[in-house]
Amino acid sequence: MEITRSAEPHNVPLLVGRIKEGDREAFMEITRLYQKKVYLLAYSYLRNNEDALDVVQETFLRLYQKVNMFRSEKNFQTWLLQIAKNLCIDYYRKNYSRNKDFRSDKDVEEVNVPAQNDKNSHSFSDIKRVFVECLDRLTEKQRMIFVMKHYNNLEYKEIAQILRISVGTVKSLHFKSTQNLRALMTPYMGEKT
Amino acid sequence: MNERCKRINRELVAFLYGELDNNTRERIRSHLDICPHCQEELQGIKELVRAADSLNDNVEEAMASVDWDALPNQISDAVFDHKSALPQEAPRRSFWEILVQRRLKPVYAALLVGLMLGSLATLIVMRTSLLRKSRGESFSVSREFLDRVELEMARRDTLDYLEKSQYVLLDFIQASPEKTPQSWRCDLASEAAKDLLAKKRYINPQLDKFHMAKAKEICDQIEFLFFELTQVSDQLTEEDLQNIQGLIEEKQLLFKIKLLKRDLEESEV
Repeated sequence: MEITRSAEPHNVPLLVGRIKEGDREAFMEITRLYQKKVYLLAYSYLRNNEDALDVVQETFLRLYQKVNMFRSEKNFQTWLLQIAKNLCIDYYRKNYSRNKDFRSDKDVEEVNVPAQNDKNSHSFSDIKRVFVECLDRLTEKQRMIFVMKHYNNLEYKEIAQILRISVGTVKSLHFKSTQNLRALMTPYMGEKT
Repeated sequence: MNERCKRINRELVAFLYGELDNNTRERIRSHLDICPHCQEELQGIKELVRAADSLNDNVEEAMASVDWDALPNQISDAVFDHKSALPQEAPRRSFWEILVQRRLKPVYAALLVGLMLGSLATLIVMRTSLLRKSRGESFSVSREFLDRVELEMARRDTLDYLEKSQYVLLDFIQASPEKTPQSWRCDLASEAAKDLLAKKRYINPQLDKFHMAKAKEICDQIEFLFFELTQVSDQLTEEDLQNIQGLIEEKQLLFKIKLLKRDLEESEV
């Protein structure tokens, strides 16, 4: 897979080097630089403030533990978001999946979203709630790709690097996630969604 | 929906999110201008994107609720105050680093010694075979020995030929028409004579090569006799038998054979 560097501050390699030596200030600087990006990914995926903050803290703890494993030729943001992504998935599996009526890896055809009688009478908050519910019904990877693309504005290339899959697969899974969401949302958004 | 529309539809999501190259984007734009079905499809995706955007308020709200200035301090406190509980993991070693680590030195030393011993053994074996080969190439030095071997073989072959001929000739001398049946005579004549003629052809070059003139002369006489014998063996009459016996006695073949055998036995190499 092609390794690309997204634009990141020039001093990041220096900061990483200092963190390896146990420099607290450098660690805080890196945290300041990337905390919002990690939080955005975690919140978009988990949609809970406390859980997202837990993931942010755990991500930077892991960063400190594993900083020696980071190779300078790699993109730091990609590496950090890989940690965050893994934590999000673990967190979701532990705390969310067990209370659902269905599992996220169920086929869309198996999902049974309660039908509404008046398709055009949904309020804005209803749409939000329904969308969250539909998003939960996507497969793990489709949901992660949709979140990364839509809420984190990551490019396909970056997503591919974070998930360690090809750009073509990312593109295909993004298309499928959109199609599945549309299929699930149809009863709530009119005939043609 | 035709095939082209299906292909375009698969690209619409990437088109909307700006993930296509200029050419593909233009191609899709041109198609959208003329295809109401694909326009409708794009509209559907846009509606979904709007639905997804409905969560943006929540995201913004949540982000606004976080104290971003305090968070790095909190996290670094968690990391550094429990530093002993959170040791940094050792860097992952590359394949090359694993190969050159110090504790593997005895293994490499053993491998090196093994390699050297193996090379030495190979060298010794190859050198021995080379020496053998070089000896083989200088075989011309001992050509004399080869000649002596060949001479000895010629001597033994000639002795063997003479001995067999002697027995056959003795049988002829001792044969009498009354005691010897016709069938025996015919078999004797044909089988023995043919064998000895073949044997003579074999020893001829050896006799020539080693200039065994005396032996050759006697062997030629025996050969001539056997040749004559094969010519008449089908109808060997009593008269023929007496002629042959006369010929043997006249040429004193048995005596000559005896003398020659003695000479050859004495001249053993």
